[in-house]
This record gives sequence, C-alpha cells and structure tokens, in this order.
Amino acid sequence: MIEAGHFAAFLAFVFSGFQAWQGLAGKRGTSGLFAYIALGTMTFAFATLLYAFARSDFSVELVASNSHTLKPFAYKIAGTWGNHEGSMALWCLVGIGFGAAGAKLLATGRSVFEARALGVQGLLNFGALAYLLFASSPFTRLDPAPLQGAGLNPLLQDPALAIHPPMLYLGYVGYSFVFALAAAGLVEGRIDRDWAKTARLWALAAFAPLTVGIALGSYWAYYELGWGGWWFWDPVENASLMPWLIGAALMHSVIVTEKRGNFAVWTALLAVLAFCFSMLGAFLVRSGVLTSVHAFAVDPLRGSMLLAGLLVFGGAALLLFALRAGKLKTGPDWDAASREGAMMGNNLVLTVAAATVLLGTLFPLIAEAAGETISVGEPYFNLTFTPIMSLALIALPIVQAWSWGRADLASLWKWLLGFAGVVAIFWLAGVGPFDIPLLAGVGLAIGVWLLLGAGMEVWRRSKTLARLPKLPLRVWGMTLAHAGLGLFVLGAVLETTGRTHTTIALQEGESQSIAGWQVRLDDVSSIEGPNWYAERATLTARHGASETVLQPQKRFYPAASMPTTETAIHKTGIADLYVALGDGRRNQKGETRWTFEVFVNPFIDLIYLGTALIALGAGLSMGGKRSKQREKAPA
Amino acid sequence: MKVLLAALSILLAASGPLADPEEEARAQDLMREIRCVACENEPISNSGSDIAADMRERVRAMVGEGRSNEEIRTWFAERYGDFVLFRPPARGPGGWLLWSGPFLLLLAGAGLGYAVIRRRTSGRPVDPVAPEDAG
Repeated sequence: MIEAGHFAAFLAFVFSGFQAWQGLAGKRGTSGLFAYIALGTMTFAFATLLYAFARSDFSVELVASNSHTLKPFAYKIAGTWGNHEGSMALWCLVGIGFGAAGAKLLATGRSVFEARALGVQGLLNFGALAYLLFASSPFTRLDPAPLQGAGLNPLLQDPALAIHPPMLYLGYVGYSFVFALAAAGLVEGRIDRDWAKTARLWALAAFAPLTVGIALGSYWAYYELGWGGWWFWDPVENASLMPWLIGAALMHSVIVTEKRGNFAVWTALLAVLAFCFSMLGAFLVRSGVLTSVHAFAVDPLRGSMLLAGLLVFGGAALLLFALRAGKLKTGPDWDAASREGAMMGNNLVLTVAAATVLLGTLFPLIAEAAGETISVGEPYFNLTFTPIMSLALIALPIVQAWSWGRADLASLWKWLLGFAGVVAIFWLAGVGPFDIPLLAGVGLAIGVWLLLGAGMEVWRRSKTLARLPKLPLRVWGMTLAHAGLGLFVLGAVLETTGRTHTTIALQEGESQSIAGWQVRLDDVSSIEGPNWYAERATLTARHGASETVLQPQKRFYPAASMPTTETAIHKTGIADLYVALGDGRRNQKGETRWTFEVFVNPFIDLIYLGTALIALGAGLSMGGKRSKQREKAPA
Repeated sequence: MKVLLAALSILLAASGPLADPEEEARAQDLMREIRCVACENEPISNSGSDIAADMRERVRAMVGEGRSNEEIRTWFAERYGDFVLFRPPARGPGGWLLWSGPFLLLLAGAGLGYAVIRRRTSGRPVDPVAPEDAG
C-alpha cells in the first residue's frame, strides 16, 4: 500500500514538473490539467499515509517511530503530520491543493498570466516534493516490522495541536500561491489593480488560517505546558509570527494597489517576502539551529536543504523583482497625509516589527558565531516590539477614515484629544480606585480605543441603522478584524499585568487561600488511560458562593518515556483559575506534600476571542460583490 | 544540633513566596527574565528542575535583602554568564545593535518613506477620494 503511495507521490512530483513546464510556457489549459492530476496523485499518496497510521502498520518506518496501537484513533490520524516527514507531505499536499485551486478559480481573463502563476506554483511544489521524496521520505518500509510503535510525542496528543499544523500550513503554503502570482505578475511587469484584486483574495486565504494556526498553538502552550502563559517569545513561536506580520502588511498594501494602483513595487516585494518568511519559519523549526521548548525532530542536513530551497526560490524571486521593479506603473498622486500615507505607516510598523522579531530570534545565533552565548527573550520584545506596534494601533482608528490622495485633517485634533481622553480615563482610574500601572493603563486605553474606532468606522460608513446591513462584506471584515485586535490588546494587557502565580505545597486534607480562592487538596490518586498512567489530584476551590473541583494530572507516557502536565482550568467568566500539579515530596514523618502551580489569569479568553475575530474578519473580507463599483469606475 | 536546626529553619523560611506582595511580584518578574541553566529556553519561573528552584530561592533571597533588579541581574550574569539573562545587556557593538536596531530601522524606514513621498508628488493638487467611494 505504502509503495503505491510512494509511487503516487513520485507521480505528483513528475506532474508538478509538467505543470511548471507547461505553465511557464504560457499554456493555461494543460498546466491546470496537470495541477489537477498532481492533486489527485498527491491526495492518494497522503491517503496511504493516513491509512498506514490508522491501521498502525508498523512496517512503515514513519508509523513505527511515531505511533502506537494504544493511542486514541484521532491521534493516530493526527500522528500523520505530527512528525517531520509527514508534515512535509502535508506541506506538499497543501501546496498542490493551492495550485489546483488556482487552476479552478483564477478567472482574470489573462491566460498567459494565469499559466505562469500555475507554472511557478508547480515549480515550488516540484521543489517541495523533491525534498520530500529524496531527503525526507515518509514512505520508507521497515523490515522486520516491530510489534509496537514508539508512540507520538505525548505533548502533541492534544486536540488543539492535532489541527494546529494543518492550519499553520494552509497559511504558510497559502503564501506560496501569492508568491506565484507575484512572480507571474513581475514576469510581465504588470502588478496593477487587476493583479491586486486577485492577489488580495489569495493573501486573505492564507492569512485567516495562519491566524487560527498560531492561536491554536498558543492556546495549546497555555494549557499543556503548565506555565500559565500564552506567548513565550520562543523561536518556534516567533517563526510563525514573522510571516503573519509580513502577511498583515501585505494584506493592507495590496488594497492600495487594488484601489489606486499605487505601492505596486512594495506589494510585489511583500508578496515574495511572505512566502520567504514562511520557508524561513519551516527552516528554523525543522533544522534545529535554534533551541526551543517545542522540541521537534531535527536534522542539520535537512535544515541546510530547506535553507537552500529558501535561498534558491527567494533569491530568484528577488532577482526578478529587482529586474522588473522599475517597470511597474504607479497610480495617482497622493499627499503624505492620506490613506496611502497611512497604509505606508502601517506597513512600516508591521515590517519593522517583523524585522525586530527576526533580529531577536537570530541574534543568539549570530552572537554564538562570534563566540558569545546570549539569550533574547520576553523582556527584549516587550521593550522593542510592543512600543513599535503600539504606534500603529494608536494611529489606526484615526487614519482609517482618511481619504485616498489627501486626507481632511480638520478633525485631527478632535481625534488626538479623543485618544488623550481615553488614556486620561485609564490613568485616573489607575491612580484612583484601581491599581493599574501607568503602562498597563496606556495598553488598556489602546484596546478600548481600537474598539471605539471599529464602532465609529462602521457608523461613519453607514450613518443610519437601516444602512448598516448593506455595508459591503469587506467593510465588516475589516471592522471585525480591527475590533478583534482591540479585544486581543485588552486581553493581553489584562492577563499580563493581572496574572498571579503562586506555588503551594499541600497535604491531603490541607487547604490554602490564593488570590481570594480557598483551595483544598482532597486526594491524589493514580489513574490509567489508554496509553498513559497518571497521578491525579482532586482539589476543591471556593470563592464566595462558587465552588469548583479541579483535577490536574501529571501524566507519564511509557511508550515515549515522557511526562506531561495536564492542567486543570476553571473558567469564572472573567478569569481562569489554572492549576498544574507538580512533584510530591515525602517528609520524615511519611507525609506527602504535593506542590501545585496556581495561576489566576484574568480575561485570557479575550486574547483568543480577539484572534478568532481577526481570522473571521480576514475570511469575511474575501466575500461579497467585488466588481460592482469597479465596472463603473474608469480603469 | 541547635546550629543545624537554625540552618534548617532558615532554609525553610527561604522557601515559598515572600511575605510582602510587592517584593514577591518583583521577584516573579525577575524570575521570568532569568533563564534556567539546565533547560531548553525556559525561564526559571517555569522550569521544574532543581537548579531552577535554587535560582528562584536566590532571587527571592536577594529581593528580600532589598537588592535592586540591576544588582540581581548582574549577580546572575557574573555567576552564570550573560546567557542566563533573557534581557540581554546593551553592552558592546552587538548589544547596542540589538537594542537600537528596531528603532533605527523605524527611523530609516520613515526617512525612506518621506523621500519616496517627496520624489513622487508632482506638486499638483490631489483630488481626494473617500474610502467608501474608491472603486
């Protein structure tokens, strides 16, 4: 079976090559046809992998080293992409899927352009499949087959993390098609309004799942690592944040190109960079050049091959860009204070933020090469990334009403006064009834400011309640995403400044009070699951009239010989009471005291609600009647 | 025996959070900035290893003695190297580049943007188009 899959993947490799050849030769029809066939063969190849995992076929090396018969069925399936080779197979499948989707959906009326885009996509898939087949094959047999598998990394046996890689890859690889569109546009020296109209949709199609993927990874880290936090500025997290930031910049820049024909050079560059940063992310995560808490299988040789792919594809695209950038046309003039100027500011901040993450992530590597060992972590990003991003967030509600070409600055002072007012309210609340540090107060003010701004923008555009439902879908999308950003900022500031962390040690029957909660340890018992055993503590927590039972576990997975933390989280509506079970220590009297890490995380759900709204907003922005007004306007 | 008991009671007293909530909060902030020397990329606030527990106690003890954050960071850096600081020191050309890099980039980008705007505009008055009217 797996041999058939291997052969099918090889066919997909060959057909992707044909797709590239026909596409680059300008033949839209045949290139698209090969894209469909490649999708068919690659789907089959991936299905054989899924099948091998579902049946626990340990004669397949990948299954033997990453699965186990006692593993729950869902995680057997998820195990297919919970490892290096399988995840690369998923990468190829998604890339080929985007190629086929492009073949089906592209309808610009310019067949040579579309053919070239499909051709470049074929070339990217060809490269990815070459890597899969010749450097990291998931289709290898093992003879003799072991009776039992080594099990999936227990940390990955989790619902959020089972769907995190497919979402992340829809984003990463989604940008490969944006890259292909940019390359095709650059070849003919035409990055214009029509190009942008198409590219914008594909950029959104990548951005929405990338957002979901990152949020799922963060949520997983929150409840699975037992550290009580949701973002650790870990290199692996940073690797996914960089393409997201570039993607966010692209999403805004491409609108300027779509509406005005301006920023063509810059948009093309971002379209190329978004996928380069995606490949860089894959390289950083998979090569093991960086130490990370998210321990994945790593291999230096594969790392250098991924780096070579990044340099070849990225270098070729940048060369093409350098050759053609001068030929791209620009649209009408604009003043510094205009919608274009605002978008330029947005892009400046987002790209500098991405560069900051890159600098902070790679700096330890560079320092190591110079013979120094240095760590760059949360405090660095809090002092660089956060203030820089704040600039854009403060400006957002003000400049989003600005007109193309030239903004009416008559009401600017009202806006600035408005923001100062919001800050003043939080400052007064901070020194008065509530104990809010000044910077947190500014952070909260920014969050509220963004929410107010989203509301005002909808109101400015609709003016009456009756017209509210008639607003274009993309206006709703934009508003939801910006409101989501506001909720995210509120959640992030409230959680980071309001979080309490206490380590307590309790004997059975003992209780202790933490942040208003009376926590009693009832008992600690040993339990067993399908492929793990665990110590499970039962705690009763009381806060006023409300009472809840928390059962955090310390699990041990014998197949992988690895412990994991299963935290217990009680949601009160405004905060999470979060408990992780630590070690038990026996004293001389024979009494055992168990340590618990207890966190109270206020408003953490706002962070995830906010990111969900951002993703939803990006998705909504793809819909709606797109060309209605466009037809009336002169080209 | 008495000495031993006294030593033990000091040890026991040292474990657990500091009595003053502000001092404890300062200690916890510091623990998030100091890297556990035995783990992969974890601050001592999160790590379950014994050495991290020792390092946490050391932070609490020094906060309790009233030492400043800077003194505590320096103490750890001298003992374990700059590696333990998640807030890398802005020392030498590398440290300077790391800390000023983002802001220099922002300035350079703003300058570049300004130059582009200056060069692009022909000086003719521009017709504004409201966002909702742009096709």
